[in-house]
Amino acid sequence: MLSSEQDDLRLLRESARMLFERAGGSGRARKLRDAGGDFDPEMVRELAEAGVFGVAVPEDNGGLGMGLAAGGIIAGEVGRVIAPEPVVLTIGLSLGLLRRLCPDHPKVPQLISGETVLAVAWQERGPGGAPADATCRYAGGKLTGAKAWVVGAAGSQGFLVVAQGDDGQVLVLVEANADGFVINKRAQADGSSLGELSFSGTPAAELASGRAVQDALAEAVVDATALAAAELVGLSERAFEITLDYIKTREQFDKPIGSFQVIQHRAVDLHVMCEVAQAGVGEALAQMDGETDPKIRARLASRAKARAVTAAKKLTRDAIQLHGAVGYTDEFDVGLYLNRALVLSAWLGDDAYHRRLWFEAREEEGAAQ
Amino acid sequence: MNDWNAMTDAEFRKEVRQFFEAEYPEELRHLPHRPKFAEIEHWHRKLHAKGWVAPAWPAEYGGMGLNAAKLLIFYEEQQRWGVNRGRDMGVQMVGPLIIKFGTQEQKDYWLPRILSCEDIWCQGYSEPGAGSDLANLRTRAEIDGDEFVINGQKIWTTMAHDATHIFMLVRTNPDAPKKQQGISFLLAPMDQSGVDVRTITTLSGETEFCEVFFDNARTPRANLVGELNKGWTMAKALLSFERIFIGSPSLAQNALGQLESFARGRGAFDDPVFRDRFAQAALDVEDHAALYARFADQLKRGETLGADVSMLKIWVTECFQRITELMIEAAGPDGGTIGPLQVGNISVDVLASFYKARPTTIYGGSNEIQRNILSKAVLGLPG
Repeated sequence: MLSSEQDDLRLLRESARMLFERAGGSGRARKLRDAGGDFDPEMVRELAEAGVFGVAVPEDNGGLGMGLAAGGIIAGEVGRVIAPEPVVLTIGLSLGLLRRLCPDHPKVPQLISGETVLAVAWQERGPGGAPADATCRYAGGKLTGAKAWVVGAAGSQGFLVVAQGDDGQVLVLVEANADGFVINKRAQADGSSLGELSFSGTPAAELASGRAVQDALAEAVVDATALAAAELVGLSERAFEITLDYIKTREQFDKPIGSFQVIQHRAVDLHVMCEVAQAGVGEALAQMDGETDPKIRARLASRAKARAVTAAKKLTRDAIQLHGAVGYTDEFDVGLYLNRALVLSAWLGDDAYHRRLWFEAREEEGAAQ
Repeated sequence: MNDWNAMTDAEFRKEVRQFFEAEYPEELRHLPHRPKFAEIEHWHRKLHAKGWVAPAWPAEYGGMGLNAAKLLIFYEEQQRWGVNRGRDMGVQMVGPLIIKFGTQEQKDYWLPRILSCEDIWCQGYSEPGAGSDLANLRTRAEIDGDEFVINGQKIWTTMAHDATHIFMLVRTNPDAPKKQQGISFLLAPMDQSGVDVRTITTLSGETEFCEVFFDNARTPRANLVGELNKGWTMAKALLSFERIFIGSPSLAQNALGQLESFARGRGAFDDPVFRDRFAQAALDVEDHAALYARFADQLKRGETLGADVSMLKIWVTECFQRITELMIEAAGPDGGTIGPLQVGNISVDVLASFYKARPTTIYGGSNEIQRNILSKAVLGLPG
């Protein structure tokens, strides 16, 4: 017997899967990439109708109140078809910030309904290219400075920017067409782009300020990290299915190559890695829903991302090898999965980074006991 | 009589835990070797008096009658407290087979003797030419009047030198069209002139494995369990629960705990490379436990496990090996030293752990065989 909650999750998964499949699965991702890499605003609205963006927003604020695990299920479906729509960005980051800092802001229902997409900018690049302390300043309604590594910058109607205010950090809203605002797009492996934003006296509206901004940002990043992990797991699963189909049909030496033991054992290892990732990431997200301590939630998100990146790297790279030469062509879909995995792995920290955070969090918890 | 299955999981776990913690002899906790019966006899007596020798057997045969969920809890608690499984081949292997396929006479005679350990059993399956390819076994049993006459050799027979009886797969029809078809399941006494046992010294210096030679050894015809030539399917039918048990996270979890205390004491965590490798291993264990929990839930819902459960064994045994390899690394120049290494107030025998981890990828169906199983039965790959 499934509980009604599990039933709801199943329905959510099925509707997201159907929606993506009807729209053309991974073939749609290829078309969008070839057309310039932006997401499809029509798809954003359809996803919104299915309840996707508000999944983790409390019911009182117009969402479904189903939690992060439900968000992870949707993210997994996004990963399976490598959809470029800003699902994790919206559930985890933009709505993650707004529902914590200003749940009654009019942008909240607009994000849930898919009318608008907001990118979130908080990191800055130092002179050497590595992340640096925030110097982007907000004063008197104007924003000045630069932000880097902004996902979804290309198709967003506005930006949620974390900047230095007169009394600590502030969260401000910048419209995409604001004056004194330049977006420099840097192309990524999967056809998407990262935005490098520069502001010079750009008009911005303050949404929140003080310690709360810092805390909400940390928690939103943790949520997005966990959701990105779930997206990578979905991506890995599908990359494996494609590869399994291929080794069953591709013949050499008058046999399917999947009849050779060396291929079989490699395929089994990929399958096992996938199952471990699914179980580990699923458990981490479910535990995050039952946990309020932000440090423990952060450790769980790091566990999820570390596992998901490890799995996705292995799955997509071995998928290329098992496809042989055609795996190295752009024509075969498996390469799209590799490229998407590269981008999602680098976003919000890769496996080595999150193992470090996980270990440090564990040490800290151990010392506190 | 208790209806254990009617208890909640938590109640049952508490009951089992309390019994082990109160009654299990401290000096036998986490025994690094397989004990001879004499070494654990006092514990066995307690277990027998409690009626807990055979958790999986139906109550009518003197077992606890646990369902799969309760059984899993029982074993988890057993492993958690480092309770030795004892000489459980009789309980785990022969008993269930006799219960399922034996005659009433066989049940009446053998089952009580298994529970009391009046008979101590060893398992005669593998042979020099029949390891992973078990059906290739050649040890012959021929009918001679009221007896079977047995000739051949078994190997890797765990603790045969401390057993009174052997249950074995023997070839009774060498002319069967498929090699799996001419095999029978036979019980035989060890104490006879036609049976010769020699111990095998392992890499760790232990002698728990034996070779058993049969030279016109004899056993009554009444010791055939099930039908003649049907031994293979019977033996295979028993393996399904073992497959989740052998993939349980406990071995790796215990080793990880040891590794952590040892590495901390040795200052290995000062090295960022070691920290990362420890984190990898720890996450491998944690995520495996999540996967194990999924299979355990399946059992708890009363579902039968599929061939995919093999993945647990592959992952956890390889992970266990990596953990023990990290122990050796953390030991630095002591990494080749026999015996316990003292760190603060704990002592860790890193080599013993390392050796213990080696055969886990070989026994219970080698990991290569497990990969073959997954490849065919789960992934549907051809050939």
